[in-house]
Amino acid sequence: MFAAIAFLFCILTARFFYVQVAWSGELGYRALDQWMREIPVVAERGLITDRNGVVLAENSTSYTVFARSNAVSDKAGTSRLLADALGVDGDALLEKLQSVRASEITVARHADKSAIEKLEAASPDGVYYSRDNTRVYPKGDSLCQVLGFTSTDNSGTTGLEKYYDKYLAGENGELLYETDLVGIDLEGAVAAYLPAEDGMNLQLTVDYGIQAIAESALKRVVETYSPASAECIVLDPDTFEILALAGYPAYDLNDVPRNDTELLDSLSRNRIVCDIYEPGSTFKIVTSAADIEEWLRGNKNAFSANYVFPSSRTRSVDGTTVKCWSTHANGKHCNQTLADALNYSCNPCFTDIALSLGTETFYDYLSAFGFGKATGVDYGGEALGMLLPESAVRDCDLARIGFGQTIAVSGLQLACAAAAAVNGGYYYTPHLVKSIYASDGYVLEEVKPALKNRTISEEASSILAGMLEGVVRDGSGKRAYIEGYRVGGKTGTAQKYENGHIAAGKYVSSFVGFFPADDPEYLALVIVDEPQGAYYGSVVAAPCAKEIFEGIIALKNIQPLEGE
Amino acid sequence: MLPGRAERTNRRAVGDLSIPVVTLLLAAFGVLMVYSASSYTAKTQYGDEFYFMKKQLLGFVLGAIVMIFAGFFDYRRLKKIRYIALIVPLVLLALVFVPGVGRSNYGATRWIGFGSVTIQPSELAKYGFVIFASAYMSEHMDAMRSFKGMLPVLAAGGAVCVLIILEPNMSVTMCVGLLMLAMIFLGGMKMRWFLVILVPALVAVPVLILMEPYRLLRLSAFLDPWASPRDEGYQLIQSLYALGNGGWFGTGLFRSRQKYRFLPFAESDFILSVIGEEFGFVGILVLFAVCGFLIYKGIRTAAEADDFFSFLLASGITLVYGIQTVINALVVSGAIPPTGLPLPLISSGNTSLVITMASMGILYAISRKNAAARAAGKGGNKRRR
Repeated sequence: MFAAIAFLFCILTARFFYVQVAWSGELGYRALDQWMREIPVVAERGLITDRNGVVLAENSTSYTVFARSNAVSDKAGTSRLLADALGVDGDALLEKLQSVRASEITVARHADKSAIEKLEAASPDGVYYSRDNTRVYPKGDSLCQVLGFTSTDNSGTTGLEKYYDKYLAGENGELLYETDLVGIDLEGAVAAYLPAEDGMNLQLTVDYGIQAIAESALKRVVETYSPASAECIVLDPDTFEILALAGYPAYDLNDVPRNDTELLDSLSRNRIVCDIYEPGSTFKIVTSAADIEEWLRGNKNAFSANYVFPSSRTRSVDGTTVKCWSTHANGKHCNQTLADALNYSCNPCFTDIALSLGTETFYDYLSAFGFGKATGVDYGGEALGMLLPESAVRDCDLARIGFGQTIAVSGLQLACAAAAAVNGGYYYTPHLVKSIYASDGYVLEEVKPALKNRTISEEASSILAGMLEGVVRDGSGKRAYIEGYRVGGKTGTAQKYENGHIAAGKYVSSFVGFFPADDPEYLALVIVDEPQGAYYGSVVAAPCAKEIFEGIIALKNIQPLEGE
Repeated sequence: MLPGRAERTNRRAVGDLSIPVVTLLLAAFGVLMVYSASSYTAKTQYGDEFYFMKKQLLGFVLGAIVMIFAGFFDYRRLKKIRYIALIVPLVLLALVFVPGVGRSNYGATRWIGFGSVTIQPSELAKYGFVIFASAYMSEHMDAMRSFKGMLPVLAAGGAVCVLIILEPNMSVTMCVGLLMLAMIFLGGMKMRWFLVILVPALVAVPVLILMEPYRLLRLSAFLDPWASPRDEGYQLIQSLYALGNGGWFGTGLFRSRQKYRFLPFAESDFILSVIGEEFGFVGILVLFAVCGFLIYKGIRTAAEADDFFSFLLASGITLVYGIQTVINALVVSGAIPPTGLPLPLISSGNTSLVITMASMGILYAISRKNAAARAAGKGGNKRRR
């Protein structure tokens, strides 16, 4: 009898010991969840500024207003007060407050401070506020494809807002209230505060001054030639910092057309980074660079700067015929050196170079200039381009790649390749963000120029830059010529293909230019897709690059060379 | 059986005073804990934080008066009212099903009401059965060895069980069942007849569980309460949270976090959870020690009884108290599936409080008679078993 009682007592004691002592920690952890109600404290999203501190994206402080229906003592009065202060529908609110289903109601989002001050004066029971952010882009549509936008809950949806979201977002905090089962605050209970950790700021490599110049130059092209789209990029060839990146058509970041997904996708697409095109003659910079470097190294298959190319308009390769865009009649494109071939953009000469160097050598240069692979830019969705695999390429393909056909590249790839050809032969990783820093001045990361590889020697680069300066001075790039400034460049006009056939009347006009030619500080690529009225890169794109360069010269107060 | 002289001595004899003292202490502690557990709910529901405490205090005062009266009452007269003691609760149990008289709560009809007073007949029935069984078995001692002789007791217990299971109230039914088995065992039932009853009773349990779907749900919720944290598992989870929050030494008096409407029935069936939360494992141990002491005193009183009726009555009273206490503690700690059963003397609920205190008064009366018998030099203590 006593043994049985003692046994029962032991079982009970053991069970209570297990629950109250051994299991206590886990139970407490679980219980904490039901004892506390939390109000989010939204972290301030980081700023985005240009390289000089011009603010491109910031926040205006707004508030979210919640009501916990069980804790609201005077439902009618409170809903009248809220309706009055926030401009919400009071009757609908009252209905929600009286319904048993919703325990917590979001009364209003993005309410401004004055409304909250009005509410705080009355301090109704069961009404709570939390700070929120509304993202504001002071420059409207400027740099819209690069910056991107955020969703209503402040997370980055596109562009840099998305790519750098983990830095920009910060960590939301919480206000914790001790409540009873239905959410009524306990008397004398202390609210715990977990502060929010604000997001980090981004300083871009972009120079807003240059960006504005590029955008207005692009706007003029668009007004004149009504293209399907137009883009331009300005790089610093010494660091591959992107100084400007503009695209047309643009949209206002403060008024994102969220309801039309298709339109939004098209407007927010950063074409110069994410789309590819057939570059045409601007690609001849790369072919020339390969030839000059090989010639300097003593490769017998390379042509010297003095070599005179055959004057024929055509070349026969693998039974196909490569033609020059010019008729070669009346002494045009006759007895050309490499410099002349660049000036007049004569296709057969570049076919000769590509075929003479051969697939293996030529592909080494394509690889060194970054074609067929990512540049590594800090932007999501970068296009890799289309490059025939080395093993599959036929001579007739190689012949066309020499002058920029049978290859597709992104605008960024081409701009980087051109920069790496004229800057002394250094290929860096292009980037958009210069530093990531906190508001208290702490710098998390400073992006330094990162050399990926050498392309050609300093000497070859210098010779090439000189030849490209000639193109602007004497050749097809004349419309980019600026008196007193050593501008170099190359035009491009490519026919567009649709469904494997040449699309009549559809061209991509482009121009890549840089200055000063002896030590390039600025490089600009302008791409105009399907211009109307004119289509030569020399006519459509070169003047736009010139306008950009003139703008930079004025902005930076760059003095012209004397005695030239 | 006893001469009139002895009866007079009896009036002056002092029994085991620790029984009423511990009973009063536990009941007073109950009033305090009912206040602590219910003050918040009472304030939000009735606008008076003392609402449940006042009711409990009334029960405490009534219970104390009844206990004192019972302590000086010649409990042997209960023998004479054995049929009344059985039939009145049975009638009341039947009245539960009469529309207008029976009061339903939480899906079960367990109360009868007269105006503002509600009582729970099952509380009376337990003691009615104890009185009847003690009286009947002590009078027909020799018949108890046969199955036939035991039949009236079995029939009485069976009737009580059937009426309670119809309410429905599984847990109280099981309490009465256990009580019945223990009583007939003490009454001298032979082991093989005992088994004849025990086996069908054990078979009945799963059948009863399968009959009502909610019982099965509760059973599965008991095995994994977090599988249905908002429904069947809720009560148990909340009880475990309370106990876990108590830890070794508890949060301190009035400092329960779970009483803020998280723990249902915090002032009644689950008051032990609040005690465990506010006083910790150590507090629970002390409470168990006190309850154990009371049970020990009950057993001693039964053991010292010099007539069979007193022995059975003291045993029955102690059994009712002990069974309920143990089952409540097992439920609260999640060791057996949740059932609605109060912790005697401590949980809110006046029927239970008053009648338990009255039974403790009778236990004291028995101890007084034992003391008187010893004093009269008849300490031979020939218990006839």
